[in-house]
Amino acid sequence: MRVVIADDETLLREGLARLLADAGVDVVGTAGTAEELLRRVALTRPDLAIVDIRMPPTHTDEGLVAAQEIRRSHPSVGVLILSHYVESRYAMRLLEENDERSGYLLKERVSDVAVLLDALQRIDEGECVVDPTIVSRLVRKPRDHGPLDELTDRELEVLGLMAEGHSNDGICRKLVLSPKTVETHVRHILLKLGIGETGEYHRRVLAVLAYLRGR
Amino acid sequence: MARKGTLAVISACGIALGLFSLQVARSDPSYSFAGTSAAAGLAFLVAGWALIACGVGFTLVRPASRFGPLLAASGGAWFVSEWGNPGSGSAVVFTIGLCLSSACPPLAGHAVLAFPAGTVSGWAERATLAAAYAGGVLMVGVLPALLVDPSAAGCNDCPQNLVALADRGRLADDVTRVGVYFGFAWSAALALLMLARVGRARAARTVLLAGSGYTAVVAAMFAASFDRGFLWNGTLERRLWWAEAVLLVAVASSVAWSWLRARRARSTVARLVVELAESPPPGGLRDVLAGIAGDPRLTIAYPLADSARLVDAEGRNVDPTPGVTRTTLVQNGRPVAVLEHARGALADEQLLQEVSAAAQLAIENERLQAEVRSRLDELRASRSRIVEAGDAERKRLERDLHDGAQQRLVGLSLSLRLARTRLGSPDALDEADAELRGAIADLRELAHGIFPVALADEGLAAALEALAEDARVAVRLVDVPEDRYAPGVESAAYAVAAEVARSATSVVEVRAEQINGKLVVNVRTRSPDGLDVVALEDRVGALDGRLLVSRDVGDETTIRAELPCA
Repeated sequence: MRVVIADDETLLREGLARLLADAGVDVVGTAGTAEELLRRVALTRPDLAIVDIRMPPTHTDEGLVAAQEIRRSHPSVGVLILSHYVESRYAMRLLEENDERSGYLLKERVSDVAVLLDALQRIDEGECVVDPTIVSRLVRKPRDHGPLDELTDRELEVLGLMAEGHSNDGICRKLVLSPKTVETHVRHILLKLGIGETGEYHRRVLAVLAYLRGR
Repeated sequence: MARKGTLAVISACGIALGLFSLQVARSDPSYSFAGTSAAAGLAFLVAGWALIACGVGFTLVRPASRFGPLLAASGGAWFVSEWGNPGSGSAVVFTIGLCLSSACPPLAGHAVLAFPAGTVSGWAERATLAAAYAGGVLMVGVLPALLVDPSAAGCNDCPQNLVALADRGRLADDVTRVGVYFGFAWSAALALLMLARVGRARAARTVLLAGSGYTAVVAAMFAASFDRGFLWNGTLERRLWWAEAVLLVAVASSVAWSWLRARRARSTVARLVVELAESPPPGGLRDVLAGIAGDPRLTIAYPLADSARLVDAEGRNVDPTPGVTRTTLVQNGRPVAVLEHARGALADEQLLQEVSAAAQLAIENERLQAEVRSRLDELRASRSRIVEAGDAERKRLERDLHDGAQQRLVGLSLSLRLARTRLGSPDALDEADAELRGAIADLRELAHGIFPVALADEGLAAALEALAEDARVAVRLVDVPEDRYAPGVESAAYAVAAEVARSATSVVEVRAEQINGKLVVNVRTRSPDGLDVVALEDRVGALDGRLLVSRDVGDETTIRAELPCA
């Protein structure tokens, strides 16, 4: 897998490059700014770009803007956003602005090679990725009594994985369940929450996230 | 009372003087302007009496001013100008008539230029008036009278000239001729001077205009006599004389009018005092003063007691407008108000004093209110600065933690990871790694709690959503507008919701809407525990907003913040 890494912090950028190289990922370029990133992507046509959300000049959402630009002009290139923000709003924005092949992980995941590689793998295969910490905060968020209380523990677990962007196959592997069982869980969950069944994967992720965010 | 008596006597004398002068004029109409017809006689009387009456009346109102006597004197001189008529048969009357035949224009010009204070300022005015007296009284009056006796020089009907010292007819003619030329010069100069001052002195405008017209006609009268070398009552001159009479009436009536206007202003001031004593509206004084001064753009500012600043009635800072006339009202030796107005709008010194005295309480009242308002504004501004500084500091801290400390720790965690892969992951390193991740998570929560990054980046709605994810209780958001507001307004609205969410023990409902230029945030919950209302009042108050806390049945508490956002 060929990736480009963009982060304005040199230590982090180079450290991450080495870590990924050690794990067998082909790091074909690094960038310190959004423009440099876009040039690198255009030049090297990687499978994936790993992008820090805060980059110069304003250190706010340059990463999200760059991600959108990359997905628009190079649809074959996936994007993984690294962010300090645990608020679901930015993840939601990323997923809303880009159809698929995009992911949002908390920055501290960089040292968690397994999670990182898994996310890269899934994005490369065409899935969306939302950081488990963000999803679990959403699931545990205090709320009025409602349909969520009706879900069994197993169903809550499946719901969380759906929100993290896992496909049914992924959920089967994670929970070691049969595809039929997972399908049943998913159908029950969507029914109980009143979310219309949608065959489309990306729409389902968005719908589940939106439900959990309560908006 | 003695003064009034004197003035009554003078008035009576004026009436008699007019009737007597008309009698003299009619004694031989061929030598006269006023005696030629009944209408001319009437105009003669009206002009002279009007001047005397206005002069006397003005003296009644303002005894200190020399304007009244000057105007009355010019009325007298107007009558005496007919006394040179040989038909009077009286040597005394005839002699006075010879000497003062042209005394009216200098006196009337003097009066008009001295309106209303009674004094003439400026070297140009003084010099021209001196020339007018010299020319009008001496050159075409007294000097020729001294040099020739008409009865001896062939005028058989003429009474004796009592002041004739010599018989130098040719010299007298020459002096008179020069006097006529000179007469044109000084009367034209007077007319121009008055015209020039019309723009400067608004209050005296009509008086100056009428006076300028009158002296211009006098100049024309002299010009008509250039060929002849002496003044005579020809056809043209008679028409000009009519114009003189009419314009003198105009001078008198414009004096009367300005006096009436001042009196109206005084009664307005009196009414103002009553009104302001009942309920003083801020800015009310300005409107009334603008009406009195006849300048709608008049402004009033108050000096603060302990600084050089000026504030308006609302307490806002006022900078002096360059090039605008300023008048300072002083009470007990202390400046209490500064008026900016059109030049000449408050030229009437006495009116100004009366206004100042009558409105003393009102001015003091409004000045104190302005001072209080100004202090309140300062206080609010400083409160708002403190809150803003606090927000900025928290934002900076959040940034420092995220971009500094946390970024370093993540880097460290990465290095540790690399070391572990190289060294085959000893237990000690695993433990350190776990510690480090814990530290990073803690730091993230800490930074987030210090300042919600979504508030600055994406506004109130985004920040409240984030709040709903963090809060220990359910936070329900209803109709929160996605619009952006001023940073202070957004952070105050957020602070209200966040503080209620912090202290809440059950569901919190946040409702926000914009009503009439205000962002109104309603936060509802049941029995909050330890809600810091004072801190919220400070935040909301710093923006000139309002915080209302109400408890309904069943311990339902509503905290309503109204934040001006227009």
